[in-house]
Amino acid sequence: MSHKDSGGVNRRKFLGFAGAAAATAMAGCGGNGDDTESANPSTDRTDTSTPSGGDQTATERPEPTSRDGYLQRANRQAHEQAPWVFLNRQYSVYGKSDDIEWQARSDEFIDAYGISPATDSGDDVIINQSQMDSGLDPQDHRATPTDNIVMQAYEKLLDRDREGGIVDSLADDYGREEEGRVRFHIRDGVSFHSGDNLTPEDVAYSINRIVDPDTGIASPQQDQLAGVTGAEAVDGERAVDVMSDGLNPIVFSLFASYGPIVNKSWIESNDGSYINQNMDGTGPFVLETYEQNVQVVFNRNDNYWQEAAEISSLTIKSASESSTRVNSLLSDESDIIVNVPPQEVSRVEENDGSSIAAAPSTRVIFNAMRYDVEPFDSPEFRQAVNYAIDLESIIQNVLSTFGDATGQPTLDGFFGYNADLDPYPYDPEQAEALVEESGYAGAEITLETPVGRYLNDVQIAQAVASYVDDLPNVTASVEQRDFQTLASEVVDGNIETSPHWYLLGWGNTTFDASQTIIPLLTTDGVLSSWSNEEFDRLVAEAQSMPSQQ
Amino acid sequence: MSYGRFLLKRGFQGILVVWGVVSIVFMLRFITPGNAVDAVAPLDASPELRDRIAEELGLNQPLYVQYLDYLWDLLHGDMGFSYISGIEASQMVFTKLPATVELAVASSLVAITLSIPLGVISATRRHQPADYAATTFSLVGISTPNFWLGIMLVLLLSVEFGLFPTSGRAFGFIESFRIMASQGLSPGINALWQWLRHIFLPAVTLGTYFTALITRLTRSGMLEELGQSYVQAARAKGLPETLIRYKHALRNTLIPVITVLGLQLGTLIGGAVITEAVFSWPGLGTTLINAINIRDWPILQATLIVIGTGFVVVNLVVDAVYAYLDPQVVAE
Repeated sequence: MSHKDSGGVNRRKFLGFAGAAAATAMAGCGGNGDDTESANPSTDRTDTSTPSGGDQTATERPEPTSRDGYLQRANRQAHEQAPWVFLNRQYSVYGKSDDIEWQARSDEFIDAYGISPATDSGDDVIINQSQMDSGLDPQDHRATPTDNIVMQAYEKLLDRDREGGIVDSLADDYGREEEGRVRFHIRDGVSFHSGDNLTPEDVAYSINRIVDPDTGIASPQQDQLAGVTGAEAVDGERAVDVMSDGLNPIVFSLFASYGPIVNKSWIESNDGSYINQNMDGTGPFVLETYEQNVQVVFNRNDNYWQEAAEISSLTIKSASESSTRVNSLLSDESDIIVNVPPQEVSRVEENDGSSIAAAPSTRVIFNAMRYDVEPFDSPEFRQAVNYAIDLESIIQNVLSTFGDATGQPTLDGFFGYNADLDPYPYDPEQAEALVEESGYAGAEITLETPVGRYLNDVQIAQAVASYVDDLPNVTASVEQRDFQTLASEVVDGNIETSPHWYLLGWGNTTFDASQTIIPLLTTDGVLSSWSNEEFDRLVAEAQSMPSQQ
Repeated sequence: MSYGRFLLKRGFQGILVVWGVVSIVFMLRFITPGNAVDAVAPLDASPELRDRIAEELGLNQPLYVQYLDYLWDLLHGDMGFSYISGIEASQMVFTKLPATVELAVASSLVAITLSIPLGVISATRRHQPADYAATTFSLVGISTPNFWLGIMLVLLLSVEFGLFPTSGRAFGFIESFRIMASQGLSPGINALWQWLRHIFLPAVTLGTYFTALITRLTRSGMLEELGQSYVQAARAKGLPETLIRYKHALRNTLIPVITVLGLQLGTLIGGAVITEAVFSWPGLGTTLINAINIRDWPILQATLIVIGTGFVVVNLVVDAVYAYLDPQVVAE
């Protein structure tokens, strides 16, 4: 298989193998372009941003030569200009029965195909999540609980391993044909649960159903395949060409995370209500019964194109209350439960027959600060807020260690992550001095936070506000908000309606920095709270280059 | 006024109330913050995608057009489609109704079975240990929050002793009999047993407040009746005390108790929202909470309309029975 994009060596992996010293030596001539600087913002304040709030950097660095380098540079720009209070990477915390063997994935998908029975009673697995599906149409939703159900039966062209690396799935080969066109070779010998064979026409239809509203539905997944304009089966070959508007450097990454493949004839011969209550995928599990908002039962697909799953049946149900889920695990009524809150972890750990399975997720938690309003128009003030917070203490005490501190918008392990950037250190004196320097001493600020949307979100917000409030020259408080209301103010495309300072989380299962920083931090980003010319330029440069992921 | 005319009048008033409920529930969507498109569209959806979703859901129509369309559809039995799943709202709501009715009836049975004997014992053994015990129980029962009691019962009886399942509803009551008819006695009895095991804790949780309330009502009613002159006359006639208590006094006590029972059935459905959440009981309460959480307005509206209509119907039936038993109500 070719799996070619731009050819050449995966630079990031190469640097990883070569080690830090080699990476430094390569700086400026090999494309990383962002490894010549100190990581500690307290000693690396070369950014002499103007107190009046102009977001510009005076740092002179050699121009990167690769997409990875540009993304890393953009992350450094964000780190230095601090448009966010960088908080933590959220963990997915599961409770697991000892009747099964299973490891949590970083993309939050509970892959039942990866479950092995550890005892005789581990053959029929029950997963208990916080919500049921929003219908079984795999292309008409965008929620993790729904994915956890529908993606047991449906598959994508490419997939990801547990760490997020791209692996083959329904496509057994892929490569770039030209700038706006890539080709996927479709695996032979794959059939849908209904018995129909998978064809390139099914694949092309599936992609078009997502990106083209005239093909059937206004799929909420359209933006997941950002840049993709359509697909068509290739004459005489078992292949599909996917067209993009421009280069679309992360196109393969998108198809590894998104784009479930459906059976064209099955979809076209049924109405939406039927498609939302039935399934016809190619995946390792076949739908047995579906009770809306109650449970979904699957049986193993014995005609699966890979080896059949090790477990015989899979039941997915839900309990919105975390204590109900924990009790069901402790009573051996569930094998995997999601979102175990920190205060319940010890109950699960101390119980005979259950344990905790946790994995760093793809979600970053942050506090956005609007660059166009006082006092957040001052980079010094924004940096001060970052210095004021004891992030390690928050992770230790509020999140019971289920979190990793961040110092940039991109998470470790993602393409474009800048390994040289450490989180801001806790330095209240530096924070106080920066507040004075910003000219906003005496500022009163309010952090708006959703309630119950993210793991201990309100407690995190209260801790942040409390640390900032401890500064003698700033007063900070917390306002709890309904998530939908808060989100609607942020996503309406008008920055002036956004709160001045708000807590939000952002999941990015493409493992590519661009899918976080473009919507959240570029000037035209749908949820942006920041505008910075240099940052926009770096991101635009990155998006004009092929990815070497 | 004749009885028939009385019923017609009450029926007409009921329809007006239901219409009011429908209108208020519909308008709620427009006075609560946020809009339906935000609930459906992903956070990073483009304005074009938002517009298309709004158009698909008919949300770009003027308010009065949406309202009239909704009323018209409702009159034809169409409660709309879930914004999230596209499934018919009536299907989603009416398939959940039996679970909630089961729970309400089961908790009423728990309440009736426990409260009336407790109330009678309490009244007939006034100021004795049994009375103090019953009075204390009713005080504790009225003061205990549903959700806390539910969690405690699960921790003790399910997690600690493994006597009952922690959550869910394996089979429906009627489904158990269907299984009995189609698959035979043994699977049917097993299904019924599973149903009983699953409903026991939610029914006790939901019925405790109700038990306490009826115990107090029965006790005070019995005490009042036992002090009436007809009871003294019966005693003077030499009737056995058991007969006086259970045939005469209790019967009269039960009239207001039954009235309260009927009216409380609606309250039980409302109270079931919390109990259903604690036990993941797949009824209207769980559906309502899910719909609120994901802002699925058609489902939210349909659930509230069904609950509201349930209240109205129960009240109508109580009114009709009352008027039948006491013709003075019709005359007034």
